[in-house]
Amino acid sequence: MAHFKLPDVGEGLTEAEIVTWHVAVGDVVAVNDVLVDIETAKSVVELPSPFAGTVTELLVEPGLTVPVGTPIVTIVDASVTDAPADAPAGDAAPEMLVGYGPKDETSGGRRRRRPVAAAAAPAGATAVLDEPAPALVPDRPRAAPPVRLLARRLGVDLARVPCDGVVTRRDLESFVRAHEAAPDPVAAAPAAGGRTVPHSAVRRVTAAAMVSSAFTAPHVTEWVEVDVSRTVELVDRLRSDRAWRDVPVSSLHLVLRSVCLALRRTPELHASWGDDALTIPEHVGLGVAAATDRGLVVPVVPQAETLDLRGLVEQVAELVAIARSGRLQPAQMAGGTFTVTNIGVFGIDAGTPILPPGQTGILAVGAITRKPWVDEHDQVVPRWVTTLALSFDHRAVDGEQGSRFLRDVADLLHDPALALTV
Amino acid sequence: MHPSLPTAPDESDLVRLLTPQGERVHHPEASWSGTDADLLALHRDMVLTRRIDTEGYALQRHGELGLWPPCLGQEAAQVGTAHAVRSQDMAFPTYRDHGVAWVRGVPPEKLLGLYRGTDLGGWDPHEHRTALPSIIIGAQCLHASGYAMGIVMDDAVGHGDPSRDAAVAVYLGDGATAQGDTLEALSWAAAFSLPVVFVIENNQYAISTVTSRLSNVPLVRRADGFGIPGVRVDGNDVLACQAVMEAAMQRARDGRGPTVIEAVTYRRGAHTTSDDPSRYRAGEETEYWEKRDPISRVRALLDSIGTFERELAELDAEADALGERLRAACRTLPEPDLAALFDLVHAETTPELVEQRDAAVAWRALGAEEVV
Amino acid sequence: MARMNIASALNAGLRAALESDPQVVLMGEDIGRLGGVFRVTDGLQKDFGPARVIDTPLAESAIMGTAVGLAMRGYRPVVEIQFDGFVYPAYDQIVNQVARLHFRSGGALSMPIVIRIPYGGGIGAIEHHSESPEAQFVMTPGLKVLTPATAHDAFWMVQQAVASDDPVVLMEPKRRYWESSEVGDVATPAWSSVVRREGADATLVTYGPMVATCLAAAETAAAEGREIEVVDLRTLSPLDLDPVVASVRRTGRVVVVHEAQRTLGIGAEVAARIGERCFFHLEAPVGRVTGYDMPYPPSRVEEEFLPDVDRILDAVDATFTAGDEEGTL
Repeated sequence: MAHFKLPDVGEGLTEAEIVTWHVAVGDVVAVNDVLVDIETAKSVVELPSPFAGTVTELLVEPGLTVPVGTPIVTIVDASVTDAPADAPAGDAAPEMLVGYGPKDETSGGRRRRRPVAAAAAPAGATAVLDEPAPALVPDRPRAAPPVRLLARRLGVDLARVPCDGVVTRRDLESFVRAHEAAPDPVAAAPAAGGRTVPHSAVRRVTAAAMVSSAFTAPHVTEWVEVDVSRTVELVDRLRSDRAWRDVPVSSLHLVLRSVCLALRRTPELHASWGDDALTIPEHVGLGVAAATDRGLVVPVVPQAETLDLRGLVEQVAELVAIARSGRLQPAQMAGGTFTVTNIGVFGIDAGTPILPPGQTGILAVGAITRKPWVDEHDQVVPRWVTTLALSFDHRAVDGEQGSRFLRDVADLLHDPALALTV
Repeated sequence: MHPSLPTAPDESDLVRLLTPQGERVHHPEASWSGTDADLLALHRDMVLTRRIDTEGYALQRHGELGLWPPCLGQEAAQVGTAHAVRSQDMAFPTYRDHGVAWVRGVPPEKLLGLYRGTDLGGWDPHEHRTALPSIIIGAQCLHASGYAMGIVMDDAVGHGDPSRDAAVAVYLGDGATAQGDTLEALSWAAAFSLPVVFVIENNQYAISTVTSRLSNVPLVRRADGFGIPGVRVDGNDVLACQAVMEAAMQRARDGRGPTVIEAVTYRRGAHTTSDDPSRYRAGEETEYWEKRDPISRVRALLDSIGTFERELAELDAEADALGERLRAACRTLPEPDLAALFDLVHAETTPELVEQRDAAVAWRALGAEEVV
Repeated sequence: MARMNIASALNAGLRAALESDPQVVLMGEDIGRLGGVFRVTDGLQKDFGPARVIDTPLAESAIMGTAVGLAMRGYRPVVEIQFDGFVYPAYDQIVNQVARLHFRSGGALSMPIVIRIPYGGGIGAIEHHSESPEAQFVMTPGLKVLTPATAHDAFWMVQQAVASDDPVVLMEPKRRYWESSEVGDVATPAWSSVVRREGADATLVTYGPMVATCLAAAETAAAEGREIEVVDLRTLSPLDLDPVVASVRRTGRVVVVHEAQRTLGIGAEVAARIGERCFFHLEAPVGRVTGYDMPYPPSRVEEEFLPDVDRILDAVDATFTAGDEEGTL
């Protein structure tokens, strides 16, 4: 049995009127016998039968207009031998696949879609701090796309960020700090039974940066244990020197200075990785991770390699003080090319630091403690010992450069006099 | 001459060798001297062309083709002239020249793809030495002149060597004679004395516009202004069509330049299956031309010169088989693949297209869900 | 006023133009006795005579070139190009003559010519019958380009085009010719875009045959809980992007949809201007859903080539996830 569906006889027609049937139920028809006259928007035409067989049903009355694709007649193929060429079509009606006319596009639902990403934001809701939508949808707050993305990652509704026309990154950071000072009471409400600690903005920034870095840059970490007794002695000597009386120098500053010197020989360690090239900056932007009561912040000492030790000490002191007061400006955290993190202040020996996004190297300095040490005369002696741990981006540098750099820093701390040689 | 019909031609200068009644007549400048077998071959090709055409038309009405341009009534003009085109010659047909394609050996299934939307013209022009049908009216005339230039550059004319000398046959309709491309091609062919024959199938209508309303003179006289010889032939007389085409093609192969042939015929069907000719012409016109049917006059001639019952019965069976073959082939034409089409845009594809192709393939690979 | 399909509405609009101005003449292949291959000029030759509704020779360049002469003589020719792909033989006259004569003559000449072109695919047609060449006219200085998507616009827009002293290319969405809708008594202002459906979550910018497709996409999105605004450009040259800008500043997410190929299509210009005017409001890059950069394919794969509800919604989805993957911004 086969249904003949109304074809599009004229390039994009959508419907036709059944004018006259030339066959009746019970008639036997051959292929291409005229079945019916139809009238379209263009003309009246005869439709020949696609099938041989017996007409068993006329499905549309004369005078009715039906859409293209509507079955209009049923023909039973009584004698397969009449039309062997049609045999592959079997009982199924041939599809009306050509000249189908415009599709009905009002039927809802999708037939094909991409799998939804697990982290996809819900429709229209990017801001956890959002207020109920006003009846009249206002314009979006203005912001550059990267700022918008940061706001989304921080969960900040840009509409609430005070700005002068366009929300800048600085406006966003300021808002975040101010918002932290007076936490949103709703967002901070603890859940029953447990304790909810809302993410601070610093926490969110840190989280986003760490995730970004950890899953972008292939990290390699190396460490070395080094006798820094001479450095400790040097620091003590400086502290007792009148000229250094008001300068709060510490071993960390000598680490920073050593890093700057070591970068002279192996500048790749503070390069930035790009899709097409490695960029080696002219100056060292030295990030110094600082724990504050708001979380980890990393102020940056610009052009650190141009500073002498005293300059370094003063710069770091000033930046850390500002950071702890919460007044650090975004520009003071930007431009880092290499970072040093002092985990020793927590009494920790070593760790595997994660690179700040975009940087190639980070050095973790462990606690400086008295340990038994086998000296050059094979004597076990108590020495000031620390562990230096270097993580680097293996896309940008190999173990050779990383090891050389770490060794250079270690050697300088072991014997600060070597600084005269570089 | 039938004065009340706009399409009844002035027959005074028509080359005719076979009357509508099937009688051979003499013409001072043209002759056809084939055998009975040649006559049967012409008849067969016309009958099978008509079968291809009626099947194509019906397949559109079945909903299997998007469009079909019928050639009903023009079989003699197409088959007769195409019989004069040799294997080393090149043919440039129109989209209505199913008979030319058939005679050139193009498998008729390959005519269907363009109209079913499975391809954009489905054969290799080199293999059958037949260009893909031009849908842009008149464009093929310039291509033919250019191809003919190549033949001259290849020194493939004027050697008196029937296996080497070559020419081009280009087909166009009456409507195409108004296109700039056509007139520019005639100008070009004349300027370089190119081996090309322009066959104007004057079927009297450019869709709805009757030729006689737009030209006061026979279309063949377009050739005069370019200094190209022109011949006006009864386009429903297959013998005359073959005869004048043989002469024109030989002239071209001999290096003596282009010819214009106006084959006066009639498009008995619609322009295409989307057209409704009842809006612009009367039924009596069709009747007038049915009496001048190109096949029945050959049939009458065959009947008058011998008994060909067996051949004719075989031909009927062959035509039926061809019809069934086309119906089956139509439904099994290979479906186009969008991904493969990206690679056809250029001879050497581009990174941008590769990216688009890969995105389209990935999208398709998601698979269709059930509509919710 | 009345419910009619787009072809009938164009017919009624042309009739009104012929009635209101005796200088209006129609020219084209088969537009007279036959009434045009799409019947858009049906009955007009009968009522206005063969001197005003002219069946021309089959020669598109001639149709366009003689329209220039008629315009110089004070007529307002409305010419029909039978199918989109047939406009290319007339392209030289359009670009080198029609578009430039006002400029070249220092304003002494005007070219009040309307070039009607049925365009676009989706009807199972053969080669050269499914083209979308609108961008080529939009990028030609001196031409204006309109495209209706409803019967109402078809009726009024063709009259506005005729009334214009500038040459206007009227791109008619042929796959929508037989779709019926209401024709009102008041014309929508010429050279303006309109919001066809309101929504706060994302914006679709489209025109012509894709308006109905985008509305269907918006309907599906609404069922999924997302409200999409649909802007029908209506005028492609000049572009009226004020409704688009206003919408994007509210939604922050926008996708441009057209049948024409992607590269240097209308979507490219619209995206560039959104970048200029809405940069600080954008939540995501401007999306585009278009035909692919290939010649229009055989019709059996045109559904895959043409933008559909799924591809449009996929692009809308992408505006919500842009930047989620590291490294994309």
